[in-house]
Amino acid sequence: MNNRLRNIWRPLWPFLTAALTLLLLLQLGHLRTPIVIPSISAVFARLGDELADAAFWHSLGASLYRLGIGFPIACFLGGLLGLLAGLSRSFAVYLRSLIGILQSIPPITWLPFLVILYGFGDVPIITIIVIASFFPMALSVMNGTEGVSHTHIEVAKVLGAKKGQLLRKVYLPETLPAFITGAQVAFGNAWRSLIAGEMVGSAAVGLGFAISFSGEVADMEGVIMYIIVIGAIATFLDHFVLEMLKRRLLRWRYIKGGGDR
Amino acid sequence: MQTLELRGVGKRFGALQVLKEIDIRIEQGEFAAIVGPSGCGKSTALRMFAGLENPSEGQALADGVPIEGPSPARMLIFQEHALYPWSTVEDNVGLGLELAGVPKAERIRRVNEVLEKVNLGGFNRYYPSQLSGGMKQRASIARALVMDPDVLLLDEPYGALDALTRLSMQNELLDIWSGSGKTMLLITHDIDEALYLADKIYVMSARPGQIVETIRIDQPRPRDRSSEAFAEHRRNIMRLLGLED
Repeated sequence: MNNRLRNIWRPLWPFLTAALTLLLLLQLGHLRTPIVIPSISAVFARLGDELADAAFWHSLGASLYRLGIGFPIACFLGGLLGLLAGLSRSFAVYLRSLIGILQSIPPITWLPFLVILYGFGDVPIITIIVIASFFPMALSVMNGTEGVSHTHIEVAKVLGAKKGQLLRKVYLPETLPAFITGAQVAFGNAWRSLIAGEMVGSAAVGLGFAISFSGEVADMEGVIMYIIVIGAIATFLDHFVLEMLKRRLLRWRYIKGGGDR
Repeated sequence: MQTLELRGVGKRFGALQVLKEIDIRIEQGEFAAIVGPSGCGKSTALRMFAGLENPSEGQALADGVPIEGPSPARMLIFQEHALYPWSTVEDNVGLGLELAGVPKAERIRRVNEVLEKVNLGGFNRYYPSQLSGGMKQRASIARALVMDPDVLLLDEPYGALDALTRLSMQNELLDIWSGSGKTMLLITHDIDEALYLADKIYVMSARPGQIVETIRIDQPRPRDRSSEAFAEHRRNIMRLLGLED
Protein backbone atom coordinates (compact mmCIF):
# COMPACT_ATOMS: atom_id res chain seq x y z
CA MET A 1 0.00 0.00 0.00
CA ASN A 2 2.88 2.27 0.86
CA ASN A 3 4.27 1.43 -2.56
CA ARG A 4 1.07 2.46 -4.22
CA LEU A 5 1.15 5.84 -2.52
CA ARG A 6 4.73 6.35 -3.65
CA ASN A 7 3.80 5.48 -7.24
CA ILE A 8 1.21 8.24 -7.26
CA TRP A 9 3.39 10.73 -5.44
CA ARG A 10 6.54 10.29 -7.51
CA PRO A 11 5.22 11.66 -10.82
CA LEU A 12 3.06 14.20 -9.00
CA TRP A 13 5.57 16.21 -7.01
CA PRO A 14 7.53 17.71 -9.94
CA PHE A 15 4.26 19.01 -11.36
CA LEU A 16 3.22 20.49 -8.07
CA THR A 17 6.59 22.20 -7.66
CA ALA A 18 6.42 23.58 -11.19
CA ALA A 19 2.86 24.84 -10.65
CA LEU A 20 3.93 26.43 -7.39
CA THR A 21 6.75 28.29 -9.13
CA LEU A 22 4.33 29.79 -11.63
CA LEU A 23 1.90 30.82 -8.91
CA LEU A 24 4.76 32.40 -7.01
CA LEU A 25 5.66 34.51 -10.04
CA LEU A 26 2.03 35.60 -10.24
CA GLN A 27 2.09 36.60 -6.60
CA LEU A 28 5.27 38.64 -7.18
CA GLY A 29 3.51 40.37 -10.06
CA HIS A 30 0.62 41.13 -7.77
CA LEU A 31 2.91 42.63 -5.14
CA ARG A 32 4.49 44.86 -7.78
CA THR A 33 1.33 46.06 -9.55
CA PRO A 34 -1.63 45.16 -7.34
CA ILE A 35 -4.04 47.22 -9.44
CA VAL A 36 -3.57 45.13 -12.58
CA ILE A 37 -2.56 41.68 -11.34
CA PRO A 38 -4.80 39.92 -8.83
CA SER A 39 -3.44 37.88 -5.94
CA ILE A 40 -3.38 34.09 -5.93
CA SER A 41 -6.09 34.00 -3.30
CA ALA A 42 -8.35 36.24 -5.38
CA VAL A 43 -7.87 34.01 -8.43
CA PHE A 44 -8.70 30.87 -6.47
CA ALA A 45 -11.69 32.52 -4.84
CA ARG A 46 -12.89 33.35 -8.33
CA LEU A 47 -12.27 29.76 -9.42
CA GLY A 48 -14.43 28.63 -6.51
CA ASP A 49 -17.24 30.94 -7.61
CA GLU A 50 -17.02 29.76 -11.19
CA LEU A 51 -17.08 26.10 -10.19
CA ALA A 52 -20.45 26.78 -8.58
CA ASP A 53 -21.73 28.44 -11.76
CA ALA A 54 -23.48 26.38 -14.45
CA ALA A 55 -22.15 28.67 -17.21
CA PHE A 56 -18.58 27.58 -16.41
CA TRP A 57 -19.49 23.92 -16.74
CA HIS A 58 -21.34 24.63 -19.93
CA SER A 59 -18.23 26.26 -21.34
CA LEU A 60 -15.96 23.43 -20.17
CA GLY A 61 -18.35 20.83 -21.53
CA ALA A 62 -18.43 22.48 -24.97
CA SER A 63 -14.64 22.42 -25.20
CA LEU A 64 -14.32 18.81 -24.06
CA TYR A 65 -17.06 17.82 -26.48
CA ARG A 66 -15.11 19.25 -29.43
CA LEU A 67 -11.92 17.62 -28.21
CA GLY A 68 -13.75 14.34 -27.59
CA ILE A 69 -14.83 14.20 -31.22
CA GLY A 70 -11.84 15.76 -32.98
CA PHE A 71 -9.04 13.95 -31.15
CA PRO A 72 -10.28 10.37 -31.68
CA ILE A 73 -10.99 11.11 -35.36
CA ALA A 74 -7.47 12.49 -35.75
CA CYS A 75 -5.96 9.46 -34.00
CA PHE A 76 -7.90 7.04 -36.13
CA LEU A 77 -7.19 8.86 -39.38
CA GLY A 78 -3.53 9.39 -38.53
CA GLY A 79 -3.10 5.79 -37.42
CA LEU A 80 -4.68 4.46 -40.59
CA LEU A 81 -2.66 6.70 -42.91
CA GLY A 82 0.53 5.96 -40.97
CA LEU A 83 -0.07 2.22 -41.18
CA LEU A 84 -0.65 2.39 -44.94
CA ALA A 85 2.44 4.54 -45.39
CA GLY A 86 4.46 2.08 -43.30
CA LEU A 87 3.48 -0.73 -45.63
CA SER A 88 3.76 1.13 -48.97
CA ARG A 89 6.87 3.10 -49.78
CA SER A 90 5.29 5.22 -52.51
CA PHE A 91 2.39 6.21 -50.28
CA ALA A 92 4.90 7.11 -47.56
CA VAL A 93 6.65 9.55 -49.90
CA TYR A 94 3.32 11.15 -50.78
CA LEU A 95 2.20 11.36 -47.15
CA ARG A 96 5.45 12.96 -46.06
CA SER A 97 5.05 15.67 -48.69
CA LEU A 98 1.44 16.26 -47.74
CA ILE A 99 2.36 16.54 -44.07
CA GLY A 100 5.27 18.80 -44.97
CA ILE A 101 2.90 21.24 -46.61
CA LEU A 102 0.24 20.99 -43.89
CA GLN A 103 2.85 21.58 -41.19
CA SER A 104 3.90 24.86 -42.76
CA ILE A 105 0.33 26.18 -42.58
CA PRO A 106 -0.62 27.01 -38.98
CA PRO A 107 -3.86 25.08 -38.35
CA ILE A 108 -5.70 28.21 -37.23
CA THR A 109 -5.22 29.61 -40.76
CA TRP A 110 -7.94 27.26 -41.95
CA LEU A 111 -10.54 28.82 -39.68
CA PRO A 112 -11.84 31.57 -42.00
CA PHE A 113 -12.06 29.04 -44.81
CA LEU A 114 -14.01 26.62 -42.63
CA VAL A 115 -16.26 29.31 -41.15
CA ILE A 116 -17.30 30.47 -44.62
CA LEU A 117 -17.91 26.85 -45.53
CA TYR A 118 -19.76 25.63 -42.42
CA GLY A 119 -20.70 28.75 -40.51
CA PHE A 120 -19.94 29.42 -36.84
CA GLY A 121 -20.12 26.49 -34.44
CA ASP A 122 -18.47 23.19 -33.63
CA VAL A 123 -17.60 21.92 -37.10
CA PRO A 124 -14.80 24.38 -37.99
CA ILE A 125 -13.11 23.86 -34.62
CA ILE A 126 -13.36 20.08 -34.74
CA THR A 127 -11.96 20.14 -38.27
CA ILE A 128 -9.02 22.24 -37.15
CA ILE A 129 -8.33 19.81 -34.32
CA VAL A 130 -8.24 16.98 -36.84
CA ILE A 131 -5.95 18.86 -39.23
CA ALA A 132 -3.59 19.84 -36.43
CA SER A 133 -3.35 16.50 -34.71
CA PHE A 134 -3.61 13.73 -37.31
CA PHE A 135 -0.09 14.19 -38.63
CA PRO A 136 1.98 13.54 -35.50
CA MET A 137 0.01 10.33 -35.21
CA ALA A 138 0.57 9.47 -38.87
CA LEU A 139 4.31 10.20 -38.70
CA SER A 140 4.79 8.21 -35.54
CA VAL A 141 2.85 5.18 -36.76
CA MET A 142 4.58 5.31 -40.15
CA ASN A 143 8.00 5.24 -38.52
CA GLY A 144 6.85 2.52 -36.15
CA THR A 145 5.60 0.32 -38.97
CA GLU A 146 8.72 0.82 -41.04
CA GLY A 147 10.76 -0.12 -37.99
CA VAL A 148 9.12 -3.49 -37.41
CA SER A 149 11.96 -5.97 -36.93
CA HIS A 150 12.53 -8.19 -39.93
CA THR A 151 13.67 -10.99 -37.64
CA HIS A 152 10.46 -10.78 -35.61
CA ILE A 153 8.49 -11.30 -38.82
CA GLU A 154 10.68 -14.24 -39.85
CA VAL A 155 10.26 -15.87 -36.44
CA ALA A 156 6.50 -15.85 -36.93
CA LYS A 157 6.80 -17.12 -40.49
CA VAL A 158 9.00 -20.03 -39.41
CA LEU A 159 6.46 -20.86 -36.71
CA GLY A 160 3.76 -21.00 -39.38
CA ALA A 161 2.06 -17.57 -39.20
CA LYS A 162 -0.30 -16.56 -41.99
CA LYS A 163 -0.82 -12.95 -43.16
CA GLY A 164 -3.55 -12.07 -40.67
CA GLN A 165 -1.64 -13.68 -37.83
CA LEU A 166 1.48 -11.69 -38.74
CA LEU A 167 -0.54 -8.50 -38.44
CA ARG A 168 -2.03 -9.46 -35.09
CA LYS A 169 0.98 -11.11 -33.50
CA VAL A 170 3.85 -8.98 -34.80
CA TYR A 171 2.84 -5.73 -36.50
CA LEU A 172 0.25 -4.69 -33.94
CA PRO A 173 2.22 -5.24 -30.73
CA GLU A 174 5.38 -3.91 -32.31
CA THR A 175 3.74 -0.65 -33.48
CA LEU A 176 1.70 -0.11 -30.32
CA PRO A 177 4.35 2.13 -28.71
CA ALA A 178 4.33 4.30 -31.84
CA PHE A 179 0.53 4.62 -31.66
CA ILE A 180 0.75 5.77 -28.08
CA THR A 181 3.61 8.23 -28.64
CA GLY A 182 1.72 9.55 -31.64
CA ALA A 183 -1.43 10.01 -29.58
CA GLN A 184 0.47 11.93 -26.91
CA VAL A 185 2.01 14.36 -29.38
CA ALA A 186 -1.30 14.63 -31.23
CA PHE A 187 -3.04 15.50 -28.00
CA GLY A 188 -0.86 18.56 -27.47
CA ASN A 189 -1.64 19.78 -30.97
CA ALA A 190 -5.35 19.06 -30.56
CA TRP A 191 -5.58 20.99 -27.32
CA ARG A 192 -3.70 24.02 -28.66
CA SER A 193 -5.81 24.28 -31.80
CA LEU A 194 -9.02 23.76 -29.83
CA ILE A 195 -8.34 26.72 -27.57
CA ALA A 196 -6.97 28.84 -30.44
CA GLY A 197 -10.01 28.08 -32.59
CA GLU A 198 -12.38 29.04 -29.82
CA MET A 199 -10.45 32.24 -29.10
CA VAL A 200 -10.33 33.44 -32.67
CA GLY A 201 -14.05 33.21 -32.61
CA SER A 202 -15.76 30.39 -34.30
CA ALA A 203 -17.90 29.78 -31.24
CA ALA A 204 -19.84 31.65 -28.59
CA VAL A 205 -19.09 29.08 -25.90
CA GLY A 206 -16.01 27.17 -24.73
CA LEU A 207 -12.89 27.76 -22.63
CA GLY A 208 -11.13 29.65 -25.43
CA PHE A 209 -14.13 31.88 -25.94
CA ALA A 210 -14.42 32.48 -22.21
CA ILE A 211 -10.83 33.62 -21.77
CA SER A 212 -11.04 35.77 -24.88
CA PHE A 213 -14.22 37.37 -23.52
CA SER A 214 -12.57 37.99 -20.14
CA GLY A 215 -9.77 39.69 -22.01
CA GLU A 216 -12.12 42.00 -23.85
CA VAL A 217 -13.73 43.24 -20.66
CA ALA A 218 -10.32 43.54 -18.94
CA ASP A 219 -11.25 40.91 -16.36
CA MET A 220 -7.73 39.91 -15.31
CA GLU A 221 -8.95 37.54 -12.59
CA GLY A 222 -10.97 35.64 -15.16
CA VAL A 223 -8.08 35.57 -17.64
CA ILE A 224 -5.66 34.10 -15.12
CA MET A 225 -8.22 31.67 -13.80
CA TYR A 226 -8.88 30.34 -17.30
CA ILE A 227 -5.15 30.01 -18.02
CA ILE A 228 -4.92 27.87 -14.90
CA VAL A 229 -7.96 25.80 -15.83
CA ILE A 230 -6.76 25.23 -19.42
CA GLY A 231 -3.28 24.25 -18.27
CA ALA A 232 -4.52 21.98 -15.51
CA ILE A 233 -6.92 20.04 -17.71
CA ALA A 234 -4.36 19.42 -20.46
CA THR A 235 -1.66 18.45 -17.99
CA PHE A 236 -4.01 16.02 -16.31
CA LEU A 237 -5.18 14.42 -19.56
CA ASP A 238 -1.72 14.18 -21.09
CA HIS A 239 0.51 13.30 -18.17
CA PHE A 240 -1.89 11.22 -16.13
CA VAL A 241 -4.63 9.73 -18.28
CA LEU A 242 -2.56 9.06 -21.44
CA GLU A 243 0.52 8.18 -19.42
CA MET A 244 -1.39 5.62 -17.37
CA LEU A 245 -2.87 4.14 -20.51
CA LYS A 246 0.64 3.86 -21.92
CA ARG A 247 1.99 2.13 -18.86
CA ARG A 248 -0.88 -0.30 -18.87
CA LEU A 249 -0.61 -1.17 -22.56
CA LEU A 250 3.19 -1.28 -22.62
CA ARG A 251 3.65 -3.02 -19.30
CA TRP A 252 6.57 -5.04 -20.64
CA ARG A 253 8.56 -1.85 -21.18
CA TYR A 254 8.34 -0.76 -17.59
CA ILE A 255 9.27 -4.05 -16.00
CA LYS A 256 12.79 -4.10 -14.69
CA GLY A 257 15.09 -6.71 -13.23
CA GLY A 258 14.18 -10.23 -12.20
CA GLY A 259 10.84 -9.27 -10.69
CA ASP A 260 7.78 -11.46 -10.71
CA ARG A 261 4.29 -10.35 -11.68
CA MET B 1 12.47 -37.39 -39.48
CA GLN B 2 14.03 -35.61 -42.41
CA THR B 3 17.19 -35.61 -44.48
CA LEU B 4 18.47 -32.25 -45.66
CA GLU B 5 20.17 -31.68 -48.96
CA LEU B 6 21.55 -28.85 -51.07
CA ARG B 7 22.18 -29.96 -54.62
CA GLY B 8 24.38 -27.75 -56.81
CA VAL B 9 23.15 -24.68 -54.98
CA GLY B 10 24.24 -21.16 -55.87
CA LYS B 11 22.89 -17.89 -54.53
CA ARG B 12 23.19 -14.37 -55.83
CA PHE B 13 21.98 -11.11 -54.31
CA GLY B 14 22.10 -8.85 -57.35
CA ALA B 15 25.65 -8.92 -58.64
CA LEU B 16 26.99 -10.46 -55.44
CA GLN B 17 27.59 -14.20 -55.58
CA VAL B 18 27.11 -15.49 -52.06
CA LEU B 19 27.08 -19.25 -52.54
CA LYS B 20 28.57 -21.34 -55.32
CA GLU B 21 28.05 -25.01 -56.18
CA ILE B 22 27.15 -26.16 -52.72
CA ASP B 23 26.52 -29.88 -52.34
CA ILE B 24 25.72 -31.10 -48.87
CA ARG B 25 23.62 -33.93 -47.54
CA ILE B 26 22.69 -34.37 -43.90
CA GLU B 27 21.19 -37.72 -42.91
CA GLN B 28 18.28 -38.27 -40.58
CA GLY B 29 19.27 -37.84 -36.96
CA GLU B 30 22.70 -36.55 -37.87
CA PHE B 31 24.34 -33.56 -36.19
CA ALA B 32 26.07 -31.47 -38.85
CA ALA B 33 27.83 -28.13 -38.63
CA ILE B 34 28.96 -25.55 -41.14
CA VAL B 35 32.05 -23.60 -40.11
CA GLY B 36 33.27 -20.56 -41.96
CA PRO B 37 34.32 -16.93 -41.67
CA SER B 38 31.60 -14.34 -41.20
CA GLY B 39 29.98 -13.24 -44.43
CA CYS B 40 30.73 -16.53 -46.20
CA GLY B 41 27.06 -17.25 -46.81
CA LYS B 42 26.65 -20.05 -44.29
CA SER B 43 23.58 -18.42 -42.79
CA THR B 44 22.08 -18.13 -46.27
CA ALA B 45 22.49 -21.88 -46.75
CA LEU B 46 20.76 -22.51 -43.43
CA ARG B 47 17.93 -20.12 -44.27
CA MET B 48 17.25 -22.13 -47.42
CA PHE B 49 16.44 -25.14 -45.25
CA ALA B 50 14.19 -22.92 -43.13
CA GLY B 51 12.33 -21.88 -46.27
CA LEU B 52 13.23 -18.21 -45.87
CA GLU B 53 15.55 -18.05 -48.88
CA ASN B 54 15.44 -19.62 -52.34
CA PRO B 55 18.48 -20.86 -54.25
CA SER B 56 19.35 -18.98 -57.46
CA GLU B 57 20.69 -22.24 -58.90
CA GLY B 58 20.25 -25.84 -57.83
CA GLN B 59 17.83 -27.22 -55.28
CA ALA B 60 17.23 -27.23 -51.54
CA LEU B 61 15.57 -30.49 -50.53
CA ALA B 62 14.04 -31.93 -47.39
CA ASP B 63 13.48 -35.70 -47.62
CA GLY B 64 14.14 -35.39 -51.37
CA VAL B 65 11.31 -32.88 -51.84
CA PRO B 66 12.09 -29.27 -52.88
CA ILE B 67 11.55 -26.81 -50.02
CA GLU B 68 8.82 -24.31 -50.90
CA GLY B 69 8.63 -22.32 -47.68
CA PRO B 70 8.76 -22.54 -43.89
CA SER B 71 7.44 -25.71 -42.29
CA PRO B 72 6.78 -26.56 -38.65
CA ALA B 73 8.89 -29.68 -39.19
CA ARG B 74 12.00 -27.51 -39.61
CA MET B 75 12.60 -24.96 -36.90
CA LEU B 76 15.15 -22.20 -37.13
CA ILE B 77 16.81 -20.88 -33.98
CA PHE B 78 17.94 -17.34 -34.62
CA GLN B 79 21.07 -15.50 -33.61
CA GLU B 80 20.41 -13.36 -30.55
CA HIS B 81 17.22 -15.18 -29.51
CA ALA B 82 14.71 -12.89 -31.33
CA LEU B 83 12.10 -13.27 -28.58
CA TYR B 84 9.19 -10.85 -28.65
CA PRO B 85 9.86 -8.30 -25.90
CA TRP B 86 6.13 -7.65 -25.42
CA SER B 87 5.33 -11.28 -24.58
CA THR B 88 6.12 -13.37 -21.53
CA VAL B 89 8.34 -16.45 -21.80
CA GLU B 90 5.22 -18.60 -21.77
CA ASP B 91 3.59 -16.67 -24.63
CA ASN B 92 6.82 -16.55 -26.64
CA VAL B 93 7.38 -20.27 -26.34
CA GLY B 94 3.74 -21.07 -27.00
CA LEU B 95 3.52 -18.85 -30.08
CA GLY B 96 3.86 -21.62 -32.66
CA LEU B 97 1.21 -23.74 -30.95
CA GLU B 98 -1.07 -20.72 -30.69
CA LEU B 99 -0.68 -19.98 -34.39
CA ALA B 100 -1.53 -23.59 -35.12
CA GLY B 101 -4.72 -23.30 -33.05
CA VAL B 102 -3.70 -25.67 -30.23
CA PRO B 103 -6.15 -25.25 -27.30
CA LYS B 104 -4.87 -23.25 -24.35
CA ALA B 105 -4.78 -26.05 -21.77
CA GLU B 106 -2.70 -28.31 -23.99
CA ARG B 107 -0.52 -25.40 -25.00
CA ILE B 108 0.33 -24.60 -21.40
CA ARG B 109 1.04 -28.23 -20.64
CA ARG B 110 3.44 -28.57 -23.57
CA VAL B 111 5.09 -25.22 -22.85
CA ASN B 112 5.71 -26.22 -19.24
CA GLU B 113 7.14 -29.54 -20.32
CA VAL B 114 9.60 -27.95 -22.73
CA LEU B 115 10.56 -25.18 -20.27
CA GLU B 116 11.53 -27.90 -17.77
CA LYS B 117 13.63 -29.53 -20.47
CA VAL B 118 15.65 -26.35 -21.12
CA ASN B 119 15.95 -25.55 -17.40
CA LEU B 120 13.56 -22.61 -17.49
CA GLY B 121 10.83 -24.17 -15.35
CA GLY B 122 8.93 -21.51 -13.38
CA PHE B 123 9.95 -18.60 -15.58
CA ASN B 124 6.63 -18.65 -17.47
CA ARG B 125 5.57 -15.14 -16.51
CA TYR B 126 8.90 -13.40 -17.01
CA TYR B 127 9.47 -10.97 -19.84
CA PRO B 128 12.58 -11.43 -22.02
CA SER B 129 14.10 -8.21 -20.63
CA GLN B 130 14.16 -9.86 -17.20
CA LEU B 131 16.23 -12.83 -18.38
CA SER B 132 19.99 -13.25 -18.81
CA GLY B 133 21.49 -13.84 -22.25
CA GLY B 134 21.72 -17.59 -21.74
CA MET B 135 18.14 -17.83 -20.46
CA LYS B 136 16.87 -15.90 -23.46
CA GLN B 137 18.58 -18.30 -25.82
CA ARG B 138 17.15 -21.24 -23.85
CA ALA B 139 13.69 -19.76 -24.26
CA SER B 140 14.34 -19.36 -27.95
CA ILE B 141 15.34 -23.02 -28.19
CA ALA B 142 12.22 -23.95 -26.23
CA ARG B 143 10.11 -21.99 -28.72
CA ALA B 144 11.44 -24.24 -31.47
CA LEU B 145 11.36 -27.48 -29.45
CA VAL B 146 7.75 -27.12 -28.42
CA MET B 147 6.78 -27.68 -32.07
CA ASP B 148 8.54 -31.06 -31.88
CA PRO B 149 10.29 -30.50 -35.21
CA ASP B 150 12.19 -33.15 -37.18
CA VAL B 151 14.96 -30.68 -37.90
CA LEU B 152 16.62 -28.02 -35.76
CA LEU B 153 18.49 -25.32 -37.67
CA LEU B 154 20.76 -23.26 -35.43
CA ASP B 155 22.13 -19.97 -36.73
CA GLU B 156 25.12 -19.14 -34.51
CA PRO B 157 22.87 -19.56 -31.47
CA TYR B 158 25.59 -18.96 -28.90
CA GLY B 159 27.53 -16.22 -30.68
CA ALA B 160 26.35 -13.51 -28.30
CA LEU B 161 26.96 -15.47 -25.08
CA ASP B 162 29.95 -15.40 -22.77
CA ALA B 163 32.39 -18.30 -22.98
CA LEU B 164 31.27 -20.14 -19.83
CA THR B 165 27.57 -19.93 -20.62
CA ARG B 166 28.35 -21.10 -24.14
CA LEU B 167 30.04 -24.27 -22.87
CA SER B 168 27.15 -25.28 -20.64
CA MET B 169 24.63 -24.46 -23.37
CA GLN B 170 26.50 -26.79 -25.70
CA ASN B 171 26.08 -29.65 -23.25
CA GLU B 172 22.39 -28.84 -22.88
CA LEU B 173 22.02 -28.93 -26.62
CA LEU B 174 23.59 -32.39 -26.76
CA ASP B 175 21.17 -33.56 -24.07
CA ILE B 176 18.24 -32.28 -26.12
CA TRP B 177 19.49 -33.92 -29.27
CA SER B 178 20.76 -37.29 -28.04
CA GLY B 179 18.20 -40.00 -28.52
CA SER B 180 15.68 -37.60 -30.07
CA GLY B 181 16.49 -38.63 -33.63
CA LYS B 182 16.30 -35.01 -34.72
CA THR B 183 18.42 -33.84 -37.60
CA MET B 184 20.59 -30.89 -36.54
CA LEU B 185 22.40 -28.28 -38.56
CA LEU B 186 24.52 -25.77 -36.68
CA ILE B 187 26.07 -22.68 -38.21
CA THR B 188 29.02 -21.36 -36.28
CA HIS B 189 32.32 -19.54 -36.58
CA ASP B 190 33.52 -21.22 -33.41
CA ILE B 191 35.66 -24.16 -34.56
CA ASP B 192 35.71 -25.79 -31.12
CA GLU B 193 31.95 -25.61 -30.87
CA ALA B 194 31.58 -27.48 -34.15
CA LEU B 195 34.17 -30.07 -33.11
CA TYR B 196 32.54 -30.62 -29.74
CA LEU B 197 29.02 -31.04 -31.12
CA ALA B 198 28.94 -32.30 -34.68
CA ASP B 199 29.23 -35.68 -36.43
CA LYS B 200 30.11 -33.95 -39.65
CA ILE B 201 31.65 -30.54 -40.31
CA TYR B 202 31.47 -28.65 -43.57
CA VAL B 203 34.24 -26.09 -43.87
CA MET B 204 33.19 -23.14 -45.99
CA SER B 205 35.35 -20.50 -47.67
CA ALA B 206 34.34 -16.88 -48.14
CA ARG B 207 33.03 -15.04 -51.18
CA PRO B 208 31.66 -16.91 -52.90
CA GLY B 209 30.87 -19.44 -50.19
CA GLN B 210 32.07 -22.89 -51.22
CA ILE B 211 32.49 -26.12 -49.32
CA VAL B 212 36.23 -26.70 -49.19
CA GLU B 213 36.20 -29.82 -47.04
CA THR B 214 33.85 -32.22 -45.29
CA ILE B 215 35.21 -33.65 -42.07
CA ARG B 216 33.76 -36.61 -40.17
CA ILE B 217 34.24 -36.64 -36.43
CA ASP B 218 33.92 -40.14 -35.02
CA GLN B 219 34.98 -39.47 -31.45
CA PRO B 220 32.40 -40.60 -28.89
CA ARG B 221 30.65 -37.97 -26.79
CA PRO B 222 31.26 -36.26 -24.45
CA ARG B 223 34.40 -35.21 -26.26
CA ASP B 224 37.59 -34.12 -24.64
CA ARG B 225 38.41 -30.66 -25.92
CA SER B 226 42.06 -31.07 -24.99
CA SER B 227 42.57 -34.45 -26.68
CA GLU B 228 45.15 -34.93 -29.43
CA ALA B 229 42.51 -35.87 -32.03
CA PHE B 230 40.55 -32.70 -31.21
CA ALA B 231 43.67 -30.56 -31.60
CA GLU B 232 44.52 -32.28 -34.87
CA HIS B 233 41.08 -31.52 -36.32
CA ARG B 234 41.30 -27.95 -35.09
CA ARG B 235 44.67 -27.41 -36.79
CA ASN B 236 43.29 -28.94 -39.96
CA ILE B 237 40.25 -26.63 -40.05
CA MET B 238 42.34 -23.56 -39.23
CA ARG B 239 44.62 -24.43 -42.12
CA LEU B 240 41.65 -24.86 -44.46
CA LEU B 241 40.36 -21.46 -43.43
CA GLY B 242 43.79 -19.95 -44.04
CA LEU B 243 44.31 -19.09 -40.39
CA GLU B 244 47.38 -21.26 -39.99
CA ASP B 245 50.04 -22.62 -42.34
